Amino acid sequence: MILKSNVREHAFTVVENDAVGDGIWRMVFSAPELAASLAPGQFMNFLVPGAKQILRVPLSFASADAAAGTVEIVYAVVGDATRALTRMAAGEKSSVLGPSGNGWTVREGQGRSIVVGGGVGAPPAVAAAGLLAKKGVAFDGVLGAQTASRLWGVERLRELGAGQAVYMTDDGSAGGQGFTTDALRVLLSERAYDTVYTCGPQVMMRGVAAICREAGVSCQVSMERMMSCAFGACNTCNVSMADGTYKSCCMYGPVFDAEEVAW
Amino acid sequence: MAEKNVSMAVDLGGVKMQNPVNTASGTFGFGWQFEGFFDVSRLGAVTTKGCSAEPWLGNPEPRMCEVPSGMMNTVGLANPGVAGMLASYGEYLQGLEGRGCRVILQAAGHSHEEYIAAVEKIEELAPWCSGVELNISCPNIARGGALVGGTPESASEVVRAVRDRVKRPLLVKMAPVRVPEIARAVEEAGADALCLINTINGMRLNVRTRRSMLSKPTGGVSGPAIHAIAVRMVWEAANAVKIPVNGMGGVATWEDAAEMILAGATSVTVGTANFYDPCAAEKIVDGLAAWAAEQGVSDINELIGAVEC
Repeated sequence: MILKSNVREHAFTVVENDAVGDGIWRMVFSAPELAASLAPGQFMNFLVPGAKQILRVPLSFASADAAAGTVEIVYAVVGDATRALTRMAAGEKSSVLGPSGNGWTVREGQGRSIVVGGGVGAPPAVAAAGLLAKKGVAFDGVLGAQTASRLWGVERLRELGAGQAVYMTDDGSAGGQGFTTDALRVLLSERAYDTVYTCGPQVMMRGVAAICREAGVSCQVSMERMMSCAFGACNTCNVSMADGTYKSCCMYGPVFDAEEVAW
Repeated sequence: MAEKNVSMAVDLGGVKMQNPVNTASGTFGFGWQFEGFFDVSRLGAVTTKGCSAEPWLGNPEPRMCEVPSGMMNTVGLANPGVAGMLASYGEYLQGLEGRGCRVILQAAGHSHEEYIAAVEKIEELAPWCSGVELNISCPNIARGGALVGGTPESASEVVRAVRDRVKRPLLVKMAPVRVPEIARAVEEAGADALCLINTINGMRLNVRTRRSMLSKPTGGVSGPAIHAIAVRMVWEAANAVKIPVNGMGGVATWEDAAEMILAGATSVTVGTANFYDPCAAEKIVDGLAAWAAEQGVSDINELIGAVEC
C-alpha cells in the first residue's frame, strides 16, 4: 500500500485581490480541485512571487465555492511575503499546496454554538459560521480587532444567519470597547450554548478556552505556528499538548479540542 | 529531454542508486508525505528522518524561523523511535525499496550506547533497508553537549563503535566542521560513504524581546543560503578521501545538484527545497539527466569530480 497525504500542489489564478481594511486584504482565486476539496478550518501554503523569503506562506480561508472553483482568503500584511501577496493582480498565477490539516467538526444534532474570531483569526471563524449554517446549527458570532479599520467579517456573519454578530475593538472605534472574551462572557451568561469555535492570537484563544471550561462548553481552537512545509515533513510546527507531548499543527491541527492544548 | 543514452546509476558506498538524487533526513518525513506530489520511487534514494532507539520528544516551540535565502531549525530530532517509526511506515518503506528507490534509515543518538542501540534496532527490524546513515552531528550528553562528531577523534570513536554492528553500507553524516580531517578519520574508521553538509549553526534574535527566535539560543541554518559553503566543503571532503561523498546543502535546482557532482559528490541530496517545492527532487532527477546529455557523457559517473580549477 502506498500511503498518501491529501495535500497536493495546485496552480491558482487570482480573480480579485483588494484591500478591505487598513493592512487587511481579501483575495479570491481560482483553483477548482482545491476549492472542491477544502473543508472549513483547513489551510493552504502559498508560493508568493517576488517574496524575499524562500518558504511558502500558510494561510487559512474564509470560504470556498466548489461550483465556481474559487477560494476566498482574507489576510493581514505582516511582513515581506504578505506584502508581496498584495501585489498579485487579477490574472496572475502561482502555486498553492493544500488542503492542509483537519478542519472544524460539527456533531449531529449540535446545539446553538458561537464562533469567536480575533484579528486575522476572523476568516476561519467565518468559515466555521459557514459550516454551521450549512449543517443547520444556530449560532452567534463575536469578532474583534484592534480598531474599526482592521475589522472584517461582521456583515458576513450576518449574511450566514448569525443570531447575533457582536464586535469589539481595542480602541472602541467600532462596536464595544474591549476584547472578544468580554463579549463571549456576556453571550454565555445569557443562554445555553453547545460549542465555541475560535481562532485568533494565542493569548485570546487561551482566554476563550478558559471561559469555555468554566462554563462547561466544548471549545475548538485553530492554532497558528511557524511552519516550513504544511504537509507533515518538517516537524517544525509543534503544539504543546496538555499530556506533555507535542503534536504537529499541520497534521493533527490546526483545529484542536481546547482541552488537548497546554495553554 | 535528451537523456536517453546517459546512464544515471551511481554506487554510494554499496548503495546502488538508479540515479544520484537522494533526500535529506528531516526534510522528507518518512517518504509517504510526498507521494501525493510525485512518484517517490523515481528518486535514487530516500533518507528518512533520524530515529533513535527510543522515541525523542524534541524541542519546544518555536522550532523554526526564517533567515535570508533559508531557514533555521531546532527540531531536536523529535522522532517516534526506530521501532515506532517502522511500525507505522516500515511497510511503505519496504515497498519503496521494491519499487526501485533505495531506502537509507538514519540513526541518531546522544552517546555511543544510544547509537549502538539505534543501529541494532535497524538491523533487527529493517533488514530490507539499503543503508544506515549515522548522524554524528548530535550533541553528546555525556560530554557536555559537544558534537558527537565534532573532532576527528570523537568522530572516529563513534563510527568504530557501530561499524561492525551495521551489516549494510554505513554512511556517516558529518557536522560541517574541520572537514578534511574529520572526513579522513571517518573513512579510516570504516565508513562506506560520507554525507555532508549538515546544517550550519546560527542564531537570530528578536531585538525587542531580546530573545532568540527559536526555543533554544541557536539552531541549524539550511537552504540556498548555505549552498556555496556546502559545495566548498564537499569539494574538500572529496579531495581528502577515497570513499564516495553524498553532497548536500542548499540544493534546490538541478544546477545546484550539478555543482555538487562536479565538486566530487557521487550522489546529491535535496533538503530544505522539499518544503517549499515538494517536487524539487523529481525535477532534479530530470534536470541532471538532461545536463549529463548536454555535457556529452554517456555515464553520469564521468562528471563526478570533473571540476576544472
